[in-house]
Amino acid sequence: MVDHYDHLKICMGELGLAPDREEEILRELSDHLDDHAATVEARGIEGGVAAREVIDGVSNWPEFRKAILAAETEETMMNYRTKALWLPALCALTLSNVLLAGVQVLGPLTHLDWLNPYMRMRPFYTFLIPWFILQPAVGAIAAYWSRRAGGSVRHQLIAALAPAIAWLGVFVLVLPFSIFLDKHGVNHVRLSAFLLMTAIWVLLPALPLLLGAGPFLRRSQTQC
Amino acid sequence: MTGIDPKIKRGSGELAILALLDREPLHGYEISKRIAQHTGGVLQFNLASLYPLLYRMEKRGWVKGKWEEAPSGRQRRYYHVTPKGKKQLAPLREEWGLFFQALHRIAGVSPAG
Repeated sequence: MVDHYDHLKICMGELGLAPDREEEILRELSDHLDDHAATVEARGIEGGVAAREVIDGVSNWPEFRKAILAAETEETMMNYRTKALWLPALCALTLSNVLLAGVQVLGPLTHLDWLNPYMRMRPFYTFLIPWFILQPAVGAIAAYWSRRAGGSVRHQLIAALAPAIAWLGVFVLVLPFSIFLDKHGVNHVRLSAFLLMTAIWVLLPALPLLLGAGPFLRRSQTQC
Repeated sequence: MTGIDPKIKRGSGELAILALLDREPLHGYEISKRIAQHTGGVLQFNLASLYPLLYRMEKRGWVKGKWEEAPSGRQRRYYHVTPKGKKQLAPLREEWGLFFQALHRIAGVSPAG
């Protein structure tokens, strides 16, 4: 008879509960699947097919995993989303901006004045490039935190991209709004400059954030 | 036979489980089997719908799980209804009874067969 324990461990992934309790839940669910498979086999169905049938009986393993966690921790969905999405996103946003401030003061290239004649756009090499280099770590931390909290791939992605999303909000909402309200007015807002700045502050950081988050966005379990 | 709406099933699951366990302790698979048998397959609980419910009831203190030896000789986690769980049975039965009376008055719902 097929032992469903290992398959179940793959499908459920880490639950993040106390090890004893997690082991107990997996063992209990595995026993249920074993009994169910035995019932299916008693109808004359071959063992491997029966095992597949009982595993396929759970149509949505991530949802099942969430339901188990919610029952175990008696979390509301709001608490789950706070832990799996908002906290990791806030961490990414804070860390990214602290790093941005940090590299402007302590950045490795800040005091390399001899580079000035060769670089027309100093900000790029004094803080933007070092900041970009550090973004994969930010994306990785956020995605890992979200995954450990039971977040879906979508949650992990949003948490990792939170800094870029925040900057997008600044360029798409805050800046246009403030320009509109500014009494002294801005006569000409060059679209090309606006788009370039949006690309620099939103799209470019998003790439290293995604790069860092990438390994964690793949679920550790194989297809259930 | 048409399936029961999942929301109705969830609500009735607690009563069904407590009523079964009030007669004798059972493990999870046996609970799901007995519910299906006693309801003629109308109510069915699989792994995904049964265990979150059981664990919630256990957290509330209505049932308690213990590892015991099954007739097959293997260890299984048997659920026992607690005194707190027994106290829930009467109000739950009354609640559902009132609910079906109300449905009968308004929609002519009566037990089939």
